[in-house]
Amino acid sequence: MINKAGAQLSRSLMAIAVSLGICLILYIALVSPLPITLLVLAIFLGLIVMGERSGGIEKIYAAMEEHKGEALVVAGIFALLLPLLVSGNNYLLHVVVMGGIYSIIALGLNFQLGSTGMVNFAPAAFYGTGAYTSAVLAVKFGISPWVGILCGLFMAALLGIVFGFPALKTRGYYLSLVTIALQVIFTLMIINTDWLGGPNGIPGIPGYEIFGFSFRRPLEILGMRLPYQTNYFYLVFLLLSLAALAASRLYNSRIGLAWNAIEQDEIVAATQGINLTKIKLLAFSIGAAFAGVAGALYAHYTSFIGNEDFDFNKSLVLICMVLLGGMDNVAGVILGSLLLTIIDEKLRDFADYRMLMYALILIIILIARPQGLLPKRNRKYQIKQDNNEGYNVTVTAGGK
Amino acid sequence: MEVLRTEALTINFGGLKAVDGVDFIIGDEIVGLIGPNGSGKTTFLNLVSGIYKPTSGKIIFQQEDITGAGPDAIRSKGIARTFQTNRLCLHLTVLDNMLLGLYSQQKTAWWQAIFRPAYSRAEIKAGIEKCFHILAHFNEELIKRCYDPVTTIPLIDRRRIEIARAIVGEPRLLLLDEPTAGLNAEETMQMIRDIGKIREDNRKISIIIIEHDMAVIARITDRVVVLNAGKKIAEGLFSEVSKDEQVRTAYLGG
Repeated sequence: MINKAGAQLSRSLMAIAVSLGICLILYIALVSPLPITLLVLAIFLGLIVMGERSGGIEKIYAAMEEHKGEALVVAGIFALLLPLLVSGNNYLLHVVVMGGIYSIIALGLNFQLGSTGMVNFAPAAFYGTGAYTSAVLAVKFGISPWVGILCGLFMAALLGIVFGFPALKTRGYYLSLVTIALQVIFTLMIINTDWLGGPNGIPGIPGYEIFGFSFRRPLEILGMRLPYQTNYFYLVFLLLSLAALAASRLYNSRIGLAWNAIEQDEIVAATQGINLTKIKLLAFSIGAAFAGVAGALYAHYTSFIGNEDFDFNKSLVLICMVLLGGMDNVAGVILGSLLLTIIDEKLRDFADYRMLMYALILIIILIARPQGLLPKRNRKYQIKQDNNEGYNVTVTAGGK
Repeated sequence: MEVLRTEALTINFGGLKAVDGVDFIIGDEIVGLIGPNGSGKTTFLNLVSGIYKPTSGKIIFQQEDITGAGPDAIRSKGIARTFQTNRLCLHLTVLDNMLLGLYSQQKTAWWQAIFRPAYSRAEIKAGIEKCFHILAHFNEELIKRCYDPVTTIPLIDRRRIEIARAIVGEPRLLLLDEPTAGLNAEETMQMIRDIGKIREDNRKISIIIIEHDMAVIARITDRVVVLNAGKKIAEGLFSEVSKDEQVRTAYLGG
């Protein structure tokens, strides 16, 4: 008994330690100069690869699954304290806010790319739809950004449905091509529509406000003055948490399973009663809705949006985040998005060689971990009664 | 009682009539579908399960015309099937594959998955109990391995999972496409026992089975239908049909 409790405790501590470790790695990567960031990343990568070889990583996964609550609380507290930890450095906070926004889009993209195996090259178009919807409503019609965020969500989801319905008749490479076309059309449409600001974008987008408190004003708590990015940091943190919760609930439901079945074998999925069109469209529109929310957030955060924020390159970066973090793994996708955002910012030192270095780092990580940092896991159901003892009881009862 | 009836069911692939005017009827029984390679047996199952749309003719399931319905709609109405080349979702676990068999009966919609997780979990929990109950009939070992991906499971058990997946949703009609293909003699005997168990457990399930092993057909079917070149050439008890001159020439090698 005591042994069992001890093992339980040590697993719980392990989960907390790992969670804290990952937070620290992200933190160090964020605040250090480039060489140290790269060193920390290399060590992190090495640890994962070694853990995989020695099988230790399985124990960590098991502990994390068992003590998810503790691990999440630790990560949550760390995130809440982050603005204090970076002692109000507004640039670092800006990087994290962008990381959070990209995480939300990547979580949405993951429904298509990771769960269902549909390569969508147009996440930035959905992101842009959300941003432009909310921005236009606020700037031209004076509608509150809080309403705008909902409108952004609906417009992006609507675009997902309207575009997805014909597009999903194609699959594989053909679907990819159609989504590339959407992305190109979106950018061209923005540039050529004067009403949407054309190539000049939309300036002067108002920020969020709660009870007269503008998010663009510095936050003063406990006698400390934190830059205005802190407000947005907490807002993004809240929305990202909700997005992650929704994503993991979908993953654990029959919908997530249906997506995985479609990825594996469409004919089998259909003969189990899965309506392919409907369920694929769902992956498309929910993913688009996530991107729409992120877009609205971005517009009211930066106060200026232009077509180059939502171009094909942005889509590619978002796809990389999902691929590198780990397909169909909520934690992996968020980790990948945060890491790539941080790396991207750090590489500004390289000026002209930035994209070259970026690509090089991606290639190195993917050679070391071709399946992504935290890849897809076998689905486990956290239902107490489905352990073997519980099951045997049911059978004896049923056999009478 | 009539469960499924086809009327002059026909499908053309270009110039080839793969299934040609087949009138078929099944009640509360196990019907064997036999015939030489290329005689249209699997195509017939693909038509009934909605994977192909017929060129002409009708499919009536429980007095309802289901001609032209999609495979998902047909599964939801109560026709389940297995595949000749054992088709499971290989990278999903045993349990996930089983749960897919319950998909058409589960009700959780996407918003319920997000906003009512307790409802979604309760449904999955009930589903898991059902899956374990069915798996226990076939092989207790599979319950212990329920979190293993199917790639690690031996062929006979994969076939069992596929059949278990098809019957866990309590279909009215089960289509088995060569359940013993690739199994050795001993495994074939086990499979015959397993198929027998399906009917013992649930009398309200009719089965159409395609099989090349005549010993299997003789032991488990109530009746056989013989196809040749897409046409039905005979039907009746196996013992009678196997004496039929036309059938012997076409199939049993004279």
